[in-house]
Amino acid sequence: MNRDLASGPLVWVGIIATTCLLLVLFQTILWLVMPVLLSVVAYYLLAPLVQMAMARGMTRARAVFFVTMMLSLFLAALGVIVGPKISSAASNWRNKASDYFQTGEKLVVNAETTLSKMVPFVHHQTAKPPEETEKTSPAPTPIDKTTAPSDGQPNKAVAEEAKETAAATAELNDQVENLTASYSGGIALELLHWVPSVLLMPYLTYFFLLDGPRFKRFLIRAIPNAFFEKTLYLFYRVEDQLRRYFQGLLMLTALDAFCLGVGLWFLGIGSPFFLAGLAAVMAWLPYLGSIAGGLLVVLVAAHDSPNSVWLPYEVVGLFIFVRLMDDFLFMPLTIGRSLSMHPLVAVLMILLAGAVAGIAGLLLVMPVLGVVMVAGQIIGELATDERVLARHRHAKLLRQRRARADLYAE
Amino acid sequence: MLFGLKSLRNPRLDLLKNVVLFKDLSMRDLAVVDNMLHVRHYLADEVIFDEGEEGQGLFIVIGGRVKITRPVGVNQVSLEFGPGSFFGEVALLDQSVRTAQARAVDDSEIVSLFRSEFFSLLETHSTIASRISYQLARVLAARLRQAIIQTDRHHEAS
Repeated sequence: MNRDLASGPLVWVGIIATTCLLLVLFQTILWLVMPVLLSVVAYYLLAPLVQMAMARGMTRARAVFFVTMMLSLFLAALGVIVGPKISSAASNWRNKASDYFQTGEKLVVNAETTLSKMVPFVHHQTAKPPEETEKTSPAPTPIDKTTAPSDGQPNKAVAEEAKETAAATAELNDQVENLTASYSGGIALELLHWVPSVLLMPYLTYFFLLDGPRFKRFLIRAIPNAFFEKTLYLFYRVEDQLRRYFQGLLMLTALDAFCLGVGLWFLGIGSPFFLAGLAAVMAWLPYLGSIAGGLLVVLVAAHDSPNSVWLPYEVVGLFIFVRLMDDFLFMPLTIGRSLSMHPLVAVLMILLAGAVAGIAGLLLVMPVLGVVMVAGQIIGELATDERVLARHRHAKLLRQRRARADLYAE
Repeated sequence: MLFGLKSLRNPRLDLLKNVVLFKDLSMRDLAVVDNMLHVRHYLADEVIFDEGEEGQGLFIVIGGRVKITRPVGVNQVSLEFGPGSFFGEVALLDQSVRTAQARAVDDSEIVSLFRSEFFSLLETHSTIASRISYQLARVLAARLRQAIIQTDRHHEAS
């Protein structure tokens, strides 16, 4: 088998079409795909531990049981320590969410004010005619001391701007409160809907660890003899691709979380490593996840330190720095090595996945594409190998001849 | 059978015990190896692998006979392997291509040990894997010695 053999355009069209079809299918059964995906991640995380236990003389069954028990104990201990904090945080999440939205709004207004002071052009663009402001402002509000001129002279433009800002703030607050009130029940129901899937995850992980090799042999048994060796190689490549991808992803998450955590701790933000871990996990979702994670941490920073004007910008700077480290150093060292894929293909596939399967597509596209790519290349090779196909036809003929050997009486 | 209990002993293990590669292994070790083997059934005259194909592992004959054929000049050199013997062992060590064709002479039951699974055995059960490796090295050394003797004889004759 020639490893340097490049796949033709037809194979690549097949790979892209299959990936898109799978993503659309997976989107419809996301309740099953997500626990399976998380179980695969957990499998690749725990498989080295099972191997270590087996290397110490345990049987697979005992090693899997031992590792699973250790993990359960660890999670139980973590639950006891972190659980009360999470439940208390969850009980007042509605107020918190409203607070964070208001902080975000204030941050935007502050940013706009600062920008308009620094760049006069922006000031002219954002300032509206007085009569229009009168219409939109429901009631006059006191002028913000920070924006009032220092000499105490009435400044009409500043007063109008303050009025406009106050009106916008009041409107946004109403919207946020309405939003949290109307969606809180729906979100809770949606979370309840995901509970069985989450409970499925440890169960699946346990059986992946216990019966993974047996299941692989069961699948290989169904492969015709002519394709046997190449199929073995295909299984090896697919498993290797998945293992390297998920282990790379976990390593990347750990590196991101560590760097962000150190940076946030240095900036004096509370629970730096928890926030960094959350942001790093959110980055599993290409593009959107990173932005959402960054936004979350900026909001928390702005909310916790309302007097520090520059802190949110420092957090944004930290995120940009870690993102750059991620793209140019961490990713080539971790995931980059696992998927030998042209960056253009990767970006195009991410966009395509977002278009055909939304957020689920964005989340699943890389592992699905990696597996379909390897499978497509090897199946493409097999389908065009005339010798292997001829051997398969020959074996079929032998079996057919054997099956009808004594059917016809002489 | 004691107290009406069925024997849990796998009959294939007895046959594997007679394979040179596994002769240093206990029955318990053999059970570990057996869990990694892939069983295949070939009809008489069916090709197992072709010359020039990339090998993925070694094959052990459990039942039947297998003929290995290699063209040398205008002639063909062939060897027959029966139950307990193995072939294609070089593929266990590297990703090189097969140097001969293997074809079933009779209906045959063959088990295969895949290279990546052998490497994983090296990590998880290094003692078992090192015993297999040692026997493999001995077999390869014997074959090399034989090849050298045959080449010398060929040179002397010519």
